[in-house]
This record gives sequence, C-alpha cells and structure tokens, in this order.
Amino acid sequence: MGVLSILIFLPLVATLLILTLPSSAKATYKYIALGFTFLQFGLSLYLYGNFDATLGGIQQLDAYQFVEQLSWIRMDLGAIGKLEIDYLIGVDGISLPLIVLSTLVMLMGVGASWNIDKNPKGYFALLMILNTAVMGIFSALDFFLFYVFYEVMLLPLYFLIGIWGGERREYAAIKFFIYTLLGSVLMLLVIVGLYFSVINPVTGAHTFNMLHMMNPANYVDGSFFAYITNYHEVFGIPARLIGFIVLFFAFAIKVPIVPLHTWLPDAHVEAPTPVSIILAGILLKVGGYGIIRVCYSIFPDIAAYTNWWLALIGVISILYGALNALAQKDLKRMIAYSSVSHMGFVLLGIASLTAEGLSGAMFQMVSHGFLSAALFFLVGVLYDRVHDRYIYNFRGLASLMPKYTAYVAIAFFASLGLPGFSAFIGEAFVIIGAFNAESMSTGVPRWMAIGGSIGILLSAAYFLWTLQRMFFGQTRLKGGQAWQEALTDLNIREQVILFPALALALLLGIMPSLVFGNLNASVLQLIELIKP
Amino acid sequence: MNISIPNILDQIIASIPLFKPELTLIIGFIVCIFTALFMEKRWKNSTFTACMVTLVFSLYYLVDQLSTTGTGFSGMWLVDMLSTYARLVIISSTLIIAIFLQQRHSKNNGDVYSILLAATLGMHVLSSTSHWLMAFIGIEMVSIASYILVGYFSQNKIQSEAAMKYVLFGSVCAAVMLYGLSLVYGLTGNLDFQSAEHLQGLMDAPEAVITLALLFVFAGIGFKLSFVPFHVWSPDVYQGAPTAITAFLSTIPKIGAIILFARLYQSWSSTAFYFSELSTWFIMVVAIVTMLVGNLAALRQQDVKRMMAYSSIGHTGLLLMAVFAYQDAFSYLLFYIVAYVIMNLATFIFIDQLEQQTESTSLLSYAGMGKKMPMLFTAFTLVAVSLIGIPPTVGFVAKLMVFTSTFSVFQSSGNTGILLLLVVGALTSVISLFFYFKIPLYAFLRDSGKESYERKRSSVVLLIIAYLLTATIILFGIFPNWMMLMLS
Repeated sequence: MGVLSILIFLPLVATLLILTLPSSAKATYKYIALGFTFLQFGLSLYLYGNFDATLGGIQQLDAYQFVEQLSWIRMDLGAIGKLEIDYLIGVDGISLPLIVLSTLVMLMGVGASWNIDKNPKGYFALLMILNTAVMGIFSALDFFLFYVFYEVMLLPLYFLIGIWGGERREYAAIKFFIYTLLGSVLMLLVIVGLYFSVINPVTGAHTFNMLHMMNPANYVDGSFFAYITNYHEVFGIPARLIGFIVLFFAFAIKVPIVPLHTWLPDAHVEAPTPVSIILAGILLKVGGYGIIRVCYSIFPDIAAYTNWWLALIGVISILYGALNALAQKDLKRMIAYSSVSHMGFVLLGIASLTAEGLSGAMFQMVSHGFLSAALFFLVGVLYDRVHDRYIYNFRGLASLMPKYTAYVAIAFFASLGLPGFSAFIGEAFVIIGAFNAESMSTGVPRWMAIGGSIGILLSAAYFLWTLQRMFFGQTRLKGGQAWQEALTDLNIREQVILFPALALALLLGIMPSLVFGNLNASVLQLIELIKP
Repeated sequence: MNISIPNILDQIIASIPLFKPELTLIIGFIVCIFTALFMEKRWKNSTFTACMVTLVFSLYYLVDQLSTTGTGFSGMWLVDMLSTYARLVIISSTLIIAIFLQQRHSKNNGDVYSILLAATLGMHVLSSTSHWLMAFIGIEMVSIASYILVGYFSQNKIQSEAAMKYVLFGSVCAAVMLYGLSLVYGLTGNLDFQSAEHLQGLMDAPEAVITLALLFVFAGIGFKLSFVPFHVWSPDVYQGAPTAITAFLSTIPKIGAIILFARLYQSWSSTAFYFSELSTWFIMVVAIVTMLVGNLAALRQQDVKRMMAYSSIGHTGLLLMAVFAYQDAFSYLLFYIVAYVIMNLATFIFIDQLEQQTESTSLLSYAGMGKKMPMLFTAFTLVAVSLIGIPPTVGFVAKLMVFTSTFSVFQSSGNTGILLLLVVGALTSVISLFFYFKIPLYAFLRDSGKESYERKRSSVVLLIIAYLLTATIILFGIFPNWMMLMLS
C-alpha cells in the first residue's frame, strides 16, 4: 500500500474508529478527526515535497508519480468482452496541488466544526467519508474508480447539509443532490460509451483506464467515440461533441457555471459553516479538475473546437456572479456569488488554451480554495455569535471586533485581487492567457479578457462596499445591547484556523513559484495534447 | 406421431435426474400438507421445519446440477446454466421468505408453507422451459399460489380486497394469454418457441394475426412482471398484502417470468421478420414507459409499501432493458436479478420491522425515527442508495452492466431508440432519488412530534438477515467479481 492509498483511506479508518467508540466518548470524536486530517495534511506535504516537477503526467502513465495499480474487477461478460477495471491512482502536476489544498481545507473544516454538538458521531463520521471521497477523486486515474468516488462524495454531503443545515436545509440538500446526480448519471452513459470505444493496447480488452482514453491510437475504428473515422451522430450532432458536452455539463454543475449555479447559493446558505468551507474550498475544484482531467484530456479535439463557447460561459459567470454578489443582502450569499464569479476565471483560463491561462486557472483554483474557506469561516464566526448575517443588520463592527475586522479586511483584499496576494496572480495569469490567446490563435477573442478584467473591478466594488457597510461608521446593530455583548472578538482557535490561510495567500502572492513550479510541466503537456 | 409407451417411459425415467430439485419440492409440498394437518398441533413449527428441509435438499440437488445441461421430457424441460442459477436464486430467496413468514406469522401458518413450495415449483418450471404449455402451467401455478398467499392472512377488508383484485386481474390476463397461445399454436403448429418450426410459422403468418397473438401472449407475461400497462394491480396488492407476502411477490415471481421472457425474446428477436421487429419495438417502448411510469408514480406515494410497488415497476423496466440486451451471456441479467432480490428482501424486512414498531407503513411515521434506530435506518438508507444505483453498492454495478450491454447493442445497430432507452434509464434513476430518499429524509432530517413508541419485541433473526443482506449489497458493490465468480 503506497502513500497515496494511505492518504485516501486514512479518513475511512477514522470513520470506523468514530463509529465503534461508544457515545460516552463523544468528546474524543473531534480530536480523532483532527488528528487524522492533520496526518493527511502532513502526508500531502510529504508528497508535495517529493514531487518531481519535471514529469508532466496527463496522458503518460510513467510520468505520473506515486502510482499504484491493482487489478480490481475482471468480469467476463460473454459477447461484450471482458470488463477490466483497475484500482489505478497516481498524481501529476494538476492533481497534486489540489490534493494539498484539500487536506488543508479539510483541516480548516474540522477546526470549524469544533462546536458541533448535534450528534457529533454521525457528523464526524460523514465528514471523514467525504474526506476519503475527495482524496479519491483527485487521485483516481481509472474512470470507474473516479466515478465511484465522485458519487460517494454526494451522500455524506446530502446528510451534512440536510441534518446540520439551516432552516431550508431539506430543500437545499435535495437540490444539490439532484443537480449533481443529473450530471453524473449522464456522465455514466458517456463512460460506458468510452469503455466500448477504447481498447487497452496491452491486453486487447475494453478498459476504463482514463489514460488509455486520452490516446487516440487506442480508439476502435467505427466505435461510438472513435477518433478519426467516426460517422456516429445523434440528432445530427457528432458523437464526440455529444460526449464532451455531457461530461462538461456534469462538471460545469460542480464548478458551477451560470446558468447551472442555482444550487450553490442555496447549499451555501443552508449548510453549516464547516460544510460551506468544504463546498467552496474543495468541491468546486472537483468541477474544474474534472474539466481538465476528463473533458479536455479525453476529448482534446473537441476542447480546441469548443473553447470559444467555454470562454464565453466563463466570462458570463464572472460578470453575472459579480453583479449578483453586488446585489446580495446576506453576507454568506454574497460570498457564494463571489465564488461563482471567481470560478468563472478558472473556466476562462482553461478555455484560453494557453500555458499562462491554464496555469492561472490552476493557481486560481488553489488560491480560491483557501481564500473562500477563510471567507466562509469568517461569516461563520459572525453567525455563531448572533445567528444573523444580514449585511444591513450590522454597522461599525470595527470598533467592536478589531481583530475580526482586520482578518476580514485582509481576506477581502486578498480575494478581490490586490497585488501581493495569491488571487491577484491567478486572475492576472488568466487574463494574460486570455489576451495572448488571440495571438496564439486558439480562438478566444480579446474582448473576453476585457470582460474578465471588468469582473475584477466589480469584485473590488462588492468587497469594499460590504466592508464599508458592515465594519465602518457608528456601531449600530439590529440586536442592540444583546448583540453587542454576544459579538466578542476572535478567540485563539479561530485565529489559529484563519491565520495560516491568510498567510498562505500572502506567501503564494509573493512566491507563486511554489505552485507554478510543480504544475508547469503538466500544463505544457496538456497544451501539447490539445494542440489548439 | 407414433411413440410407443415404453419409449415414453424410458424418456421420462431418463429425465428424472434433471428433475430432482423439483421432485424434492413436490414431495416436500405433500409432506407439508400432512404435517400441517396432523403434526402442527402437537409439534409446533413442524411444517416450517419440513419446508426448510425440502428447500435445503432442493438446493443441494441444484448445486449438484451446476455442471449439467440438457433437455428432458421430450424437450419440455430445459436445464442450462441460466435456469440452474435462476433456480438457485429462487430457492435461496424462498428460504428467506419462509423464515420471514415463520418469524412474523407464527400462528395458524401451517398451510402457507405448502403453498410457498408450490409457488416455488411453478417458478422452477418457468425458468427451465421453452415450451408454451409448461410455461403456462408454471405461470398458473405461481399465480394461484400467489392469490392464496395474498389472501391467507387477511384480517381486514383492504387485505381481502387486494386478494380479490389480484385474482380477477390475474385470471383475465391468463385467459388472454391462453387465447394468444392458441393463436400462436394455430399459426405454427409447435409450442416450443425456440424450435425452427415455430419461428418458421411466425415468419409466414399474416401481420395482423401475429400482432394480436404476440400482444396477447405478452399480456400474460406482463401481468407476472407487472410492466406497464399490466401493472395496475401491483400497488394495491403490495400495499394490502402482509409485508412478508409482499416481499415474496416483489421478488420471486419476477425471477421466473423474466427468465422465460429473456428466452422468449432471444429466440423471437433473432430473425429479420415482422414478428422480431414487433417484439423489439414492443420491449423498447414498454421498457421506457415502465421506467417512467414506475418512477414518476412513486414520487407521489406516501405509503412505503405502495412506493416500493412502483419502485419495483421501475426496476422491471430496467430488467426489460437487460432482457432487451440479452444475447448469449446471461451474467449481467442474473447479476441484476440477484441484486434486485437482495435489495428488495432487505427493504421489506426493514419495512416490516418498522411496521412492528410504529404500526404503520406510512412514510410520515418514520419522522425522527433515525435517532431511535440509527443502525436500522443507516442500513435502510444504504439499501435505498443501492436501489437508486449509486456506488459503492451492488445496485450501481447491476445498473452499469445493464447499461453496458444495452450500449453494445446500440453501437452495433445505431438505433436512436436504444439511446433513448439508455437516457431514460439514466434519468429515471435521478427521479428515483426523490422518493427513495424520502426514507432518510423523514428518518434523519425531520423531527417527530410524537413521544417515543414503546419498544416492542422485534425479530432478531430477521434483523440479522437484513443486516447481512445490506453487508452483501456493499460487498458485492465493491467486489462484484466475487458474485461473478459464483455465477460462472
């Protein structure tokens, strides 16, 4: 069992431990969860430190690192042939930064769960199952395995939102579940189609191996998703385009793009703080990761063909999300919409098909990961104290909670793309990539880059305006004296959680090479694969 | 035909080894009648014991038969891998149903076991024949036994009404089927639907008559499988029958019928003539409609047994899809059947346990129960997840295999209708999420307004069986090849 497997299945051990301990030991659950996630964080840092940045990965198995391959399911299905499913995991420059990010955000999530007192056993058990699923998604290289982890992720989230959520939690939980499941069952059909179109060159059997699916030579001539000689059409649309659209649809729901984003504000508003942190910090990245790993790598031809539309969707998401954030009166909803806007940059960067744009998109994912986690945590701090997060119910918080205000200000400035912070690097690279795209003739026009820049401007507007409305001026609170007493400043635990995230934002803003160094080879490899 | 009597006798005697499991069932049936009449008063559970012994012996002979294939009784009896495995599944699930009955209805239950054995025999006949006469006898045996089972424990008007509805609907369907069979016989002169003569007859016959005959025959099978539009009986009957009997109805009769239908469809769809095309279109349309109707109607149900009735209609649609793609390899068809049986048995045991606690099968009565019975509802949720077809459960693998096989048919034929079939199959699993997840929704997400029920003595044996089944669901979901090893 390799390091990567240990990283994936450690939380499952924690789940079993939590489930077997009697309820009398319920005070220990959070320590178990914390211990295991901390261990995971250490392991992921170990992986990051020992990563060979010269290897690209993407479609070459020998360029992946920490690879483990076990034959998992072999079934003889008679006329259909042999079912070949492997337990195949490994990391490259695309997945590793996201794994490190996930362990960090998971750590923040567990830290934010410290005060959960409603059925902690179920809560931490589900959280750890979710943790396993997330790690699995980012490491799986077999499509079947990927799909299993992808679906397993949904169940704990449904219950985490549904049981520990706010007032309209039932609605939010089922809406989230339905949206994602809708995308993923259609994805299943494409997986089946790909399975029949691809042959493992070594064994000659059909395979679920994603890396084999990325190699045009492995496609069977005349099969449904065949590369060159493909006459399959559905209602006049070529089969490969359909496959790409379906997969993109599945992941775009997760990103989320406008107009498939409507589950996100609901889920965020109703979810408890730690789940919001994990949703924004990790799960949105699953969408971006899926687009790179699955849509773009398996359908590179279609990726080059459709990137104008994808970039357009990205720009629309940036602007629509930002304008919506401006209009929100609920702080958490505002941050949820700012997520939509920031994830739009990821899509724009990916669709630009330039090295700058793709690296920027990856960087933006990492940066948005811990920054949005910090933002949602900050909202949670306020909500914990007075159970309200309506922007207009607060005024002049700065004099009441100076430390809190400082953290909020830093987080806001970092998120709006102030130079020196990580979000700036990500967004700047995306926009540079989108600008260069025209000269590289990848099909993304310059005005889209300008659209992205306007998005940055808008994000400055909504963040600064919120800062002004809530924190500056005369202290005026809706709850009066009771609120004034309840609104104590940040305690040590909260600072311990927040400080690393914001420090990291600064660190990566100054030394972006910490991330770029490891993902560069993979990004170049991907561009090489797509050849726009 | 001039076959002398000694020849016939020789053949019958030669066929006996192929018939051992069924002979055991017949003997067990008679023994059970006697024990129920004479021994039950003195020695409680004697009939149950006799029934279990019969089933175990039958199981033993079946395992013995695993390596044999052949036909007996002048080609009326067909033993191949498919039939043997199907019968293994039937006997195993009958074992569980028998325990279910014994645990739940411990009083005045003597005759129920003999009827159960008779139904099992009927199922065996259905799954190991390609002869219409045998098939009809099989269907009638199962039907009549089911009528009695549904009415056997009836205590109130609803239950009697359910039984009555079942009898009326069933008899009409059987009559229609018989009429269709008479037409088929008239057209072909041969009752073995796999024989060349039979197919030749169908090729030559006029289209109008064929359409009528085929649809009539499908009506009879449709009643047993409860696909649309012959499904209307099942919600009422499922709801009205005692839960143990519902568990029986939703699983075992379907196995035999689906095996028969698979054989029938395989031979009838193999030509390029009108009747093949008709069967293909029929099964495609019916599968799509059945999945849609079953899952959409289930959305509105508030009673869990009624909901499961529609759910099983939806699963019938997927089973039809498996039949549609059935060619020579039967493994995924059997896989789906096994998965379906395990999931349904577990579900009904859970429903029954909860019915004992709350005296209701309404979904509303589950509100807040998750806190009181976390173990049961966690297992129940896992079963629901499997019924939807989400990994890592056996329901997902089963669904994936059906999709895979259907896709291979699509790729070779390019018929857009098949793609529609696939898409509907995928979308209905999203729809099914809504109603299956009502169970955890009420149990975990809602709070109960009422004070806690007093805990009643619930059957530990049944619970253990249900938990074991749940464990199998996960285990086979992660390692499906273990089950495939058993199936090959």
